[in-house]
Amino acid sequence: MLLVPCPNCGPRNSADLRYGGESHARPDPATASPLQWRGYLYLRDNPADWLRETWYCRSGCRRWFTLERNTATNEFRDPPLPGDKRGGKA
Amino acid sequence: MADRPVFESPVVRGYETADSGDLVLADASATTKWLVCASASGAVADRLGAPFGSSSTGAGGVIVLGSRPGEWIVLGTADAVDGAVDGLDAMDPSDHVSALDWTHGRALFRVTGPEAPRMLEKVCSLDWSDPMTPDGAVASASVAKVTCDIARNDVDGTPSYLVFCDRSFGQYLFDALIDAGDEFGLVVGPATGQ
Amino acid sequence: MTMSRLGSQPTEVIDRSTTLRFRWNGKRFRGFEGDTIASALAAAGEHVFSRSMKYHRPRGMLTADFWDPNLLVQVGDDPNVRAGHRLLESGMDVHPQNVWPSLRHDIKAANGLVARFLTAGFYYKTFMRPQKLWPTYERVLATFAPGGKVDLDTPHRYHDKRYVHPDVVVAGAGPAGIEAALAAAAAGARVILVEHEHAVGGHLRYSSAESARTALSELRAALDASDVEVLTDSTVTGRYEDNWLGIVQRNHPIAVERLIKARAKVLVVAPGLIERPFVFAGNDRPGVITSGAVRRLINLWGVKPGERAVVFSANSEGDAAAADLDRVGVEVAAVIDGREGRRVSAAQGPPKALEAVVAGGTRTDADLLVVAAGWTAPTSLLNMAGDRPVYDPDAARFFPSDPPSNVLATGGLAGDGSLDELRAHGAATGRLAAQRASAVAHRLQARTARALEVTGDEPDWAADERTPLGRSPHPELYRSDTHGMIDLSEDVGSKDLVAAAREGYDSVELAKRYTTATMGSAQGKLETVNTVAAIAEARGETIAQVGTTVWRPPYAPLTLGALAGRVFEPVRVSSIHPWHEANGVHTILAGQWIRPDHYGDPAAEVRNVRTNVGLIDVTPLGKLDLRGPDIPNLLNLLYTNKWSKLPVGKVRYGMMCAEDGVVLDDGVTGRLGEDHYLMTTTSSGAASVWEWVENWLQTERPDWRVHVTPVTTAYTSINVAGPKSRELVSRVTTGVDLSPEAFAYMEVRTATVAGVAGCFMWRIGFTCELSFEIHVPAGHGLHVWEALMEAGADLGVGPFGLEGQRIMRLEKGHFIVGQDTDGLTLGPSTGLSPLIKLDKDDFAGMPELAWAADRQLPMIVAIQPDDPGVVPEEAAQIVRGDTNEILGRITSSRMSPTLGRSICLGQVEPELAAGGTKLTVLLTSGQRISATVIDHHAHFDPDGERLRG
Repeated sequence: MLLVPCPNCGPRNSADLRYGGESHARPDPATASPLQWRGYLYLRDNPADWLRETWYCRSGCRRWFTLERNTATNEFRDPPLPGDKRGGKA
Repeated sequence: MADRPVFESPVVRGYETADSGDLVLADASATTKWLVCASASGAVADRLGAPFGSSSTGAGGVIVLGSRPGEWIVLGTADAVDGAVDGLDAMDPSDHVSALDWTHGRALFRVTGPEAPRMLEKVCSLDWSDPMTPDGAVASASVAKVTCDIARNDVDGTPSYLVFCDRSFGQYLFDALIDAGDEFGLVVGPATGQ
Repeated sequence: MTMSRLGSQPTEVIDRSTTLRFRWNGKRFRGFEGDTIASALAAAGEHVFSRSMKYHRPRGMLTADFWDPNLLVQVGDDPNVRAGHRLLESGMDVHPQNVWPSLRHDIKAANGLVARFLTAGFYYKTFMRPQKLWPTYERVLATFAPGGKVDLDTPHRYHDKRYVHPDVVVAGAGPAGIEAALAAAAAGARVILVEHEHAVGGHLRYSSAESARTALSELRAALDASDVEVLTDSTVTGRYEDNWLGIVQRNHPIAVERLIKARAKVLVVAPGLIERPFVFAGNDRPGVITSGAVRRLINLWGVKPGERAVVFSANSEGDAAAADLDRVGVEVAAVIDGREGRRVSAAQGPPKALEAVVAGGTRTDADLLVVAAGWTAPTSLLNMAGDRPVYDPDAARFFPSDPPSNVLATGGLAGDGSLDELRAHGAATGRLAAQRASAVAHRLQARTARALEVTGDEPDWAADERTPLGRSPHPELYRSDTHGMIDLSEDVGSKDLVAAAREGYDSVELAKRYTTATMGSAQGKLETVNTVAAIAEARGETIAQVGTTVWRPPYAPLTLGALAGRVFEPVRVSSIHPWHEANGVHTILAGQWIRPDHYGDPAAEVRNVRTNVGLIDVTPLGKLDLRGPDIPNLLNLLYTNKWSKLPVGKVRYGMMCAEDGVVLDDGVTGRLGEDHYLMTTTSSGAASVWEWVENWLQTERPDWRVHVTPVTTAYTSINVAGPKSRELVSRVTTGVDLSPEAFAYMEVRTATVAGVAGCFMWRIGFTCELSFEIHVPAGHGLHVWEALMEAGADLGVGPFGLEGQRIMRLEKGHFIVGQDTDGLTLGPSTGLSPLIKLDKDDFAGMPELAWAADRQLPMIVAIQPDDPGVVPEEAAQIVRGDTNEILGRITSSRMSPTLGRSICLGQVEPELAAGGTKLTVLLTSGQRISATVIDHHAHFDPDGERLRG
């Protein structure tokens, strides 16, 4: 099982988290075209490469955060470590 | 109309209790518990003195747990907890602070004994070794498939853990802990906190 | 082959003073404590243990260990027990498997006569067509299938689970593995040593050499004196991401099996080598046996494996077997030395025995043929770590290539050498493992919020400076000049693989699936390399060119019970649960909640609510405590309607949609104070709505000042419903004026109820009756419930359950998210378009809902069957006339005790949504009934007179 580097708790089993999927900016709902909005809802790049994705630390700190993971190797880019390891902010 | 009733614990089954044992599980659900939310750093955080992942002990034996970034659980006797949370919301006008009585929302158990880490590793995937979960450590994790807040709070040098869960899971979790502790000779201790 | 018990051996593991009685095939047998089932049977002279899978050939002992494909037996109700591994217990009732009608006379052995028809792919090719006959084929074939009998009434057995975080896990406790564990522990690492067999020692255990015995006792003593946690009869079954390991412990005192999930910082792989069978005519005949099996029989269990042996040896282990045989009085009639290019060609005899061995044209009488043809490197755990082992033709086996640096191989897997060299390599590996583990530990500790502060810098990632083990030359011995069996578990011969290659299945992955070679009980441990060699030969290529299949978890087969581990099934109950149980409740499991469904007669409960007053425990209703100045903004964003002007003391209904416009949840939210609200959600949506709210607040609107706390079970929620509810509530409530003028519909108050202060009370209900929903601090919930019951005795108060509530909400026409809506139901389909305020700046799902506003959508409508006595099933289809064209479905249906007729909600195509439309409903019986859409959702009290009273 993958160890996911939660920026608050530290490394946690992936079963402790919920996978939020690829990180996508929400278009402005007032101006978004159907194509843009449905791209946000449904279209994913799914690269075999580095990917920005969101995770929710469901069993731990209950914080949503974004990490970069290489989907081909499951390597995580080092998360920005809190300056003080006790009390970092998500 | 009835008089004001006593607190009813979520643990309603009857158990044979023992005052002491090598591994003791006790229901402490009646303990007063408050939840405080504020910025993870600032005057309120400084006063509570327990950054995420750690705990502190204050006046009147109040225990403050840094349960999430910007969230604290404050527990102890009703008076001591009142004292600990009193005035928090007025400390820093720029901070958004809220405090609510969570006594009824969370079941609380204490498990104490040298074998408590061995028992917990049967129901929870956290690393219970001293370096990773020292006395004073606070974490949240799934215990027997229920999300719990867990604090290590040793008693006279003996490993001891506070386990919080949603009240409605209380009876289930209490029984799951008894089951996990069976091979280590777990006994149920008298309920505390009232 | 005649086996018998020898005199005492210096290395034996049996206790001859403890006799165990058991049954085999209905007859009484005896063995000793320490015997495996198979060794006890062998000592008693048994030499046929099973019939082969396809051809039902008699099979004897081959490897005498866990992997032996011929030693699968049924023990009591436990099928597929490995008799070469499972220790004998007193009273065991052991039966052979895959024999019909008996081991001696197997009717299906006739398959052997038609073997030429049972070639590769026979079953596929023969039984594929016609497809409609497959059920018949399946029934017949099932009686021929291998495996034991599963008793469906077997009692549930306890399986245990444990999570561990060791620094180093060593898989395999041979001399190298033990040294690795000792060295790592000496360096301060927390070590778990896992041994597949019942005792540590690996091949030292069955070596009669004095040096081996000395070394073994030395290693055992060192282990005993160390902090290494030793798990015997346990297997590392899989290695996953970041050294997450599955370990199955088969001999735990409190459980049949314990599944250990280990997060190891470093994994040392030291499984040793597995002896590989040799392919020749008759190689599956009883009496053909590996050299390791012979040495185990003699040295561990004191079993004489035969009277007159031929030994085919290509290595020192084969030579040692010949020496063991000679020592215990088995005549070694011939040694065929594989290193000199000699090969055994055939094993001959009557069906169930060996009579003679043919090699180099010479026929030698023998009842035992010992084969030492080489080794298979069980690289499984390395494969699982991503390594692709490489074949070395000079050593005739695969070696690790480039595993990740937190996975280290040692022992026979890594190379060859003297015992001292292997031990030294193990110790060096253990030291390296401990060093690397300390770096991982440092990093984990430094990054974990709750951990102790680390001191010092992170240790460097230690370089691998181990002296590599050598590689002993070994002849490449896979198949002789004759054909024979390759996979004894699956009855796949070398000819089958040649045929498969000829048919085009000439890649190893294809040939494996086509022929099922390597897919049986030995899972490739014995037959993979021979399979590859046969394909290579058929293709005219080398083994290295063909490559091997990828070994996947599990390393060793394990039971489903072990995999499922200990099953946790959390259940939730409200504070009132003890009362329900004492009062004849019929419960229903709703998600994790055990809820009252009814108390015997739901229709009577409904009538009581309609005429008197009823209480329902609605504690599972999701509740979120909201605090902060930006709550109106949050509510405007989450709900489709407007929340900016909700006064303190008021409650409002809202519907939430997801970003795709699909209905997500609904509920009421009340304003308790200036910056304090209580949001309710559906019971099933409580957890997901909380995550949804947190997601918006944390990622999209982090500047908003709102704190969200789940308080679902902090309050016991009681709905008091019925015309007499005000009277009842007023009897126990202080501090609130309950008159309709002072406390109107959709308002909230804080009250003291039955002496309990801080109860939230709001005037809403799902039943279309006057009702008061009271949220009581949960530690007093049972008290308030009992007080209400007591106070209302003269009013006819009674409890009602979920079923009664569902009937009443259906009478009122309230939809339930997830019951009457589905994953495609857009907001307007609920009929609540007036609550979708498209003039807001933003809310979840707004663009989709704006585009949907112009479209004709399926609608939720209330439906009444024209025959009031017929209740269509939920999910019954609404169709066009006599056709099967689906136009909608019934989503909820009940018999209404209030109206005395059946009532429904359903989803229909837009053109059928108007009141008065006639529908055809297709019941599951095939009957079609007519029904009518009514004008509004409410079947009862459409104007809400009762509710507002």
